[in-house]
Amino acid sequence: MKRLAWIGGFVILAVLPFFLGSYHNDVYRKMLLWVTLALGYNFLFGICGQVAFSHFAFYGIGAYSVVILLFQLGLPLPVAIVLGVVICVVLALVVAIPATRLEGFYLALVTLALAQLFIVVLNEGGNVTGGTGGIANYRLPPIFGWRIAGPAYTVVIVALLAGTLAVLWRLDHSWFGRACRAVRDNPEAAAAMGVDVARTKVIVFTLTSALAGIAGMVYAFVDNTVNPPIFGLENAFLILFMVIVGGAGRHAGAVIGAILLFLLPFWLSPLVGHHHQLVFGALVVAAILLQPKGLIGLWDRFSR
Amino acid sequence: MQDLLELAVSATASGCIYGLIALAYLLMIRPTGIINFAVGEWAMVASFGGFIFLTKYEWPYPLGMAAVVAVMILVGWATERIAVRPLVEKGAPLLAPILALLGVLVVTREIISVSFPPDPLPVPFPFGIGRIEIGPIGGSYQSFFIIAVTLAVFAGTWFFFEKTLWGKSFEAVSLNRRAAALMGINLSRVTALSFAGGAGAAGLAGLLVSPNISAHYLMGVPLAIQGFTALVVGGVGRVEGALLGGLLLAFAEQFIARYAPIPSGYTQGVPLLFLMVFLLVRPTGLLRARA
Amino acid sequence: MVRMWGLLACALLIGAADAQTIKIGVITDRVGVSKPYSEPATEGVIFGADEINRRGGLLGRKIELLVEDDQSRPDISAALARKLVEQGAVFILSVSLSPATQQQQTVTMEAKTPQMTPMNSADYLTTQLDNPYFWQTGPLGSVQIATLLAHAKTKNFKRVALITDNSDLGQAIAKAFKGTLEKAGIQIVAEEVVARGATTAMPQMQKLRAANPEAMFLAGVLTAENVLIFRAYKELGVKFPIHSSYNLSVPIYETVAKGLINGITFVDAYDPDKPEVKAFEAAYRKATGKDPQNLHGYGYDGIMLIADAIRRAGSTDKEKIREAMQKTNYAGVMGKKGMKYSFPEGKRAGFDPDGMVVRVYEKDRQGRVLHVGSK
Repeated sequence: MKRLAWIGGFVILAVLPFFLGSYHNDVYRKMLLWVTLALGYNFLFGICGQVAFSHFAFYGIGAYSVVILLFQLGLPLPVAIVLGVVICVVLALVVAIPATRLEGFYLALVTLALAQLFIVVLNEGGNVTGGTGGIANYRLPPIFGWRIAGPAYTVVIVALLAGTLAVLWRLDHSWFGRACRAVRDNPEAAAAMGVDVARTKVIVFTLTSALAGIAGMVYAFVDNTVNPPIFGLENAFLILFMVIVGGAGRHAGAVIGAILLFLLPFWLSPLVGHHHQLVFGALVVAAILLQPKGLIGLWDRFSR
Repeated sequence: MQDLLELAVSATASGCIYGLIALAYLLMIRPTGIINFAVGEWAMVASFGGFIFLTKYEWPYPLGMAAVVAVMILVGWATERIAVRPLVEKGAPLLAPILALLGVLVVTREIISVSFPPDPLPVPFPFGIGRIEIGPIGGSYQSFFIIAVTLAVFAGTWFFFEKTLWGKSFEAVSLNRRAAALMGINLSRVTALSFAGGAGAAGLAGLLVSPNISAHYLMGVPLAIQGFTALVVGGVGRVEGALLGGLLLAFAEQFIARYAPIPSGYTQGVPLLFLMVFLLVRPTGLLRARA
Repeated sequence: MVRMWGLLACALLIGAADAQTIKIGVITDRVGVSKPYSEPATEGVIFGADEINRRGGLLGRKIELLVEDDQSRPDISAALARKLVEQGAVFILSVSLSPATQQQQTVTMEAKTPQMTPMNSADYLTTQLDNPYFWQTGPLGSVQIATLLAHAKTKNFKRVALITDNSDLGQAIAKAFKGTLEKAGIQIVAEEVVARGATTAMPQMQKLRAANPEAMFLAGVLTAENVLIFRAYKELGVKFPIHSSYNLSVPIYETVAKGLINGITFVDAYDPDKPEVKAFEAAYRKATGKDPQNLHGYGYDGIMLIADAIRRAGSTDKEKIREAMQKTNYAGVMGKKGMKYSFPEGKRAGFDPDGMVVRVYEKDRQGRVLHVGSK
């Protein structure tokens, strides 16, 4: 019965874009992408307790990879997708394996440096990455003779979201999820109970980064442009805010946080003009002060 | 050779700025464990304060500088009161105040951004634009001023921690909060003081660097990142570590930009690679805390 | 009786037509990195729209500006472009970052809605995408370097240095500069980048000095970092002349770089002796009580060009506007005396390649015009 409800919910999400105008569809699908990212980040940060700022960088790595592989190297779509995922996994491993030896906050620093390095590489990448102007002027190649665009592409994004949530949910409700939480709460105790702490951290980091990369590959065909400012550092902080404000450790929290913080500038801008960033920052501070467990705590309180 | 010495002076001055920001972090991390990324925005606020007192109202430099530092101490104290104390009292996990302070970062930057015109604003040099030559070493007045002030601040801070009772109580709190509280040390006062001190140090950094780069609302985040890198390199354990980390970072940045045979664009990546390698090889920083 | 109803109907129709405004979208940046440029440009647009409305409007209707803030986030920029199209904007003015303008292009191309940037100068905006609904009237980086070189031709440079910052526009302009310099057979002996957030430009300037160039071309657009370059230049006591992109035409340098800029030449699209400029400045001062900068002029020209196109199209049909825009031949506030914006042979960059002037800073103020055009 519950599974039917879930399927029904996703069907509604997928059908919705066909009833929305072009603008609302665009906001809707970008919001879904952020929700996907937030879910992955929530698993890494909220459930496994790893602070990292590279999540959005992997989003960018996925996006740029698929575009470069498809249009600079001319590979067919399925190959490009698989290769793109491989690139994300390899990069994530390269960062994760040495970095997870470090104390919690040092992982944050390494990933912060990685995120910045990514932008530098993009800017200096010359003809490969399109440099500071990025790459534009491409479209999703036809799949079985059919060009997917507009609301139909949003269905792809809904599928991505469903897939990501399914993977993370399954992991969460398995012994692996419990191991992650143990690593988050007390690594020594976890080790004493037989959890391989380092391996758990590496797996989580690699998995969530790969998921972010896949989301990035989907994003590449939303605006059909990739350029360095899209993947800037501020977004890494925004994802963190989303998960915190919504409620770290809870999938529902990530969803709420992502929806709220993504849509907030759109609502605030007409209301308070160019003070909207200020209101945004104040809201974030207020949310953390009043409800350190995140807004999901409010929901819990009301549904009692 | 002339180039090298001149660059050394410039790198020392930049290193002092990074060191002051690193010190700001350190003053707050030691007793509370809270990493406050808003130090960059504090530096920015101080530079705008410098613009108001020194450029707009043309106060004499010592008076203006004192006024800015006083304002920053207040800002630090207020930040602690508003964004940190409620969370600590509620027993929130350590991450909560760190994130709240990130929100404070955004709020601070936006308050400045909407209160001033968008262009960078000039902050005056205390001694004007001129050069001093001390033997073979030459540099601008400002560079030497920065170095002098930084050394004074670090000397004072070292003295504070080593020789005064207040300093010892800071140490006690950073070693073991509960034990310190049991011994009668007022935890919230120590926290408030650490934030006020941190804001003062960050504010000085902002005031000292802004005549060169002018006061603008985007200067905070780069400073915060550079200062944090310096802290990691130097280690959180000792005050001197902050300065050492800052100097190392600045020397690496500038000497590589000058002498390394790689295209200029890639030199931005150098401090980042430096940081990453450093973290993997020596995460606790160069200087270990005293046992 | 019928006549009365007829008259009433006519009156109502005219009233309705009057009440129906012409919607023009503006995408600007109010909080992000482009704010120092976007804000004055937007003010210029608003001033221009008010002026048009005061004089009776456009095709008998008032202009309604729909202003959106993209926070310098390109993905939000694209969404906002869609919003404006849905709200019925017949033209979109892009006064934010170049990457944001590009992102909006993917939308305007799809939605067949005219879009223009009056200020962005990145060359790639009209070359990367083949968007017949997009025009760029900002002075291209390639135009800037051509004008600078024409002025410097008498000096017969053979070896020069190039310095910029790591912003996207700074890199784009540097690329344009480099291409033109190399094509003219001039050797670039040093190429340096000052990163955003740097505390000094000393290493880069030392490296430049060691390469011993005859002149230095400045392509950077970040104010604070440019000031660092000037400081290092002064501290090191180097003497080679500096030629800068149009970024130095922004008046803020007169305050933050006082004492550092005398003798620097820069390209500008703003000739203060031009009668249109004098009229513009007087009108702006009268309406707002403040002095305009050249950035206001870009915005003003933007809205005026759109109004001119709509007038010639005689309707708000987007296709007709597109055709009319392509045939533009308009003298605005920016550009040298007598310059007209036009889009010859289906090109979409409308700033006359010969239309800039070279000026020099004298006594800490923007001084006289040294050279006109790119010949």
